[in-house]
Amino acid sequence: MNPTTEPYLTQYQARADTLPGRRVNWLQAQRRAGLARFTQVGFPTQRDEDWRYTTVKPITVKKFHGLNAAAESAEFAESAEHADLQAALDAMQIKGLQSHRLVFVDGVFAAQWSHSQSALGVPSEGVTVAPLAQVLEQNPHWIEQAFGSVKPDKAHGFTALNNAYSQDGVVVLLAENARPTTPVEMLFVSCAPNGCAQPRNIIIAGAASKVQLIERYVSVNGKPARDKNSAAACTFTNSSTEIVVGETAEVDYYLVQTQSQAAYHVCGVWARQARGSRFSCRTITLGGALVRNDLGVELAGEQAHCDMFGLYHLSGAQHVDNHTTMLHCAENCSSREWYKGVLEQRSRAVFHGRIKVAPGAQKTNAAQTNNNLLLSAHAEIDSKPQLEIYADDVQCSHGATVGQLDADALFYLRARGLDEAAAGEMLRVAFVNDVLNQIAIDELKQTLETMLAARLTGNRLSSHP
Amino acid sequence: MLTIKNLHVSVDGKPILNGIDLNINAGEVHAIMGPNGSGKSTLANVLAGREHYQVTAGSVAYKGLDLLDMEPEIRAREGVFLAFQYPVEIPGVTNLYLLKASVNAIRKHNHVDELNAVEFLKLIKEKVALVEMHEDFLYRPINEGFSGGEKKRNEILQMLLLQPTLSILDETDSGLDIDALKIVAKGVNTVRGDARAMLVVTHYQRLLDYIVPDVVHVLHNGAIVRSGDKSLALELEREGYGWIEARAAAQP
Ligand SMILES: Nc1ncnc2c1ncn2[C@@H]1O[C@H](COP(=O)(O)OP(=O)(O)OP(=O)(O)O)[C@@H](O)[C@H]1O
Ligand SMILES: [Mg+2]
Repeated sequence: MNPTTEPYLTQYQARADTLPGRRVNWLQAQRRAGLARFTQVGFPTQRDEDWRYTTVKPITVKKFHGLNAAAESAEFAESAEHADLQAALDAMQIKGLQSHRLVFVDGVFAAQWSHSQSALGVPSEGVTVAPLAQVLEQNPHWIEQAFGSVKPDKAHGFTALNNAYSQDGVVVLLAENARPTTPVEMLFVSCAPNGCAQPRNIIIAGAASKVQLIERYVSVNGKPARDKNSAAACTFTNSSTEIVVGETAEVDYYLVQTQSQAAYHVCGVWARQARGSRFSCRTITLGGALVRNDLGVELAGEQAHCDMFGLYHLSGAQHVDNHTTMLHCAENCSSREWYKGVLEQRSRAVFHGRIKVAPGAQKTNAAQTNNNLLLSAHAEIDSKPQLEIYADDVQCSHGATVGQLDADALFYLRARGLDEAAAGEMLRVAFVNDVLNQIAIDELKQTLETMLAARLTGNRLSSHP
Repeated sequence: MLTIKNLHVSVDGKPILNGIDLNINAGEVHAIMGPNGSGKSTLANVLAGREHYQVTAGSVAYKGLDLLDMEPEIRAREGVFLAFQYPVEIPGVTNLYLLKASVNAIRKHNHVDELNAVEFLKLIKEKVALVEMHEDFLYRPINEGFSGGEKKRNEILQMLLLQPTLSILDETDSGLDIDALKIVAKGVNTVRGDARAMLVVTHYQRLLDYIVPDVVHVLHNGAIVRSGDKSLALELEREGYGWIEARAAAQP
């Protein structure tokens, strides 16, 4: 008996009957397959090549309870205390942003904080936004083909667990040519101490559609009325998002991780791109004790293009692992990957960028860069490209840099009257600016700019351990 | 205004300046010429406060203050300005952003009210017009992708904005076409004045036709080997530096 997987399996048995979509056969088959794989492979260890630099022990040794936490927080959300949660959520809003917004607290759909331009599940401007549980109960055929089709078959234990266990999340369906004027915002709030949430999202972008998606993870201290001064709650989120990008569709996707420094997040995002489509994926990671992102894109149709940008700013003992896989499966596709990180104190980052060019994927153009700014002697980065090229007419490039602030630039700024702290701050902000400038949603960009500027100033460092 | 006495400087233990003596009074323009590697930029950088250099002996007094004891930003705020031989590219920070931060840091130090965005914009636009730059350059990242000449012009723009008491121009004329040279010289001449001084490093006497110096010094192997009036620059242009080598060889 495996002591790390056992509690999850037991909980699964206990709650299998309460999961949505019990009468949907194809879904039940997927759940069983997920469960079987999880039972077989368990949680990854550092012996797995893909997990060499990241240990998930901090997650697996703890007892997280999915069901109770979820039930409690649903109760909490309805209770009189929810004014506090409301206030906390208001403070976390992306200022000025109009969006179709779905909010989940500890994995449970919170209808009172969600809104869409029309009723959930009813199309408006060609876009249908609905909670997964609702779709599974009412219209499972909407997602039957796509659901589970983008994720890799040989997934690691977390993904398998999500396949078995997930109960809710967001479904976004875009009709052909649909171009909603407002972004879709998926907000996942971790709240209850030791709570575990396993969101599952599916986005299906029809041919020639165009959409902006924001998937956000935040923390709010649970039960504020009961223990006001408690440290941030330890929470675990195991999320999974599948994105089907139709022919010539354009999907602009933002993954924004600003959870507390006591939150764990294992996150999978998988996209498949049809001919002539464009997918931009921008990952901004500022929060979390341990964050692992698996981002996989399959360029399945000719002339598809993918931009994958990432930005992480870490401090304390944060550990963030970005594992990207760019699969070039068709001719004339291009991909550009660009990850930038600022590491302070004892933080640690891993960047693993895999590019695979399948036989026949001629005229592939793939570029990958990872630039890191190490602001402390105790911070650490492991950056590793992995290129597998099975076609001959291909342009692939990769490069990684690890450095401190540029002494020449610092002196230049000081010679113009800026003190050392201000000059350093200006350079740190400058380092992240070029990635921030790629954010096409102004309100999001401004919110992140403000957040980062505050984090990159000396004030924050002195108030931080 | 500036008094340098017996200044010795090394980099990584290697002596580069070997006893410089130089006195610049308010209102004066001094030119420094000398072969490549003679230590001109080293002198300029030490005056601006570059930390990489070790001062092993000597002193520098500026407005009666111990210059070498001041942080680079304090020197800048007290009116020392270095136009870099190789201006640094800083992606991600716009020219405008730096210039405003710079002006206000200096004003604050001098207990003058900081400029607001509108006042600053008005001021900077006047200066941009003076050096005949396109306003677009204000919104571009500092020096990133600027041509050699554009970088130099940008340095002069900063000088015009900051109105320094002591300007040190390190080969600001190198890489400029003749029209740009005239524009730069015109800009430089607007900051000349009785209360200000200038140290101009150049390889070409041509610049000195436009910025007429009071004194010309020849730097060789980290020491000033000759000083004279502006005719010395003409002589160097004609004869090169061979005579210095010859004189050095003739000495025991
Ligand atoms: N950081 C450094 N490390 C090692 N040597 C240095 C460094 N900086 C300067 N030097 C050396 O000091 C000497 C003087 O350099 P400096 O740049 O001051 O010359 P310069 O007179 O300005 O030359 P140029 O006319 O080519 O600009 C050179 O031999 C140079 O190689
Ligand atoms: Mg030089």
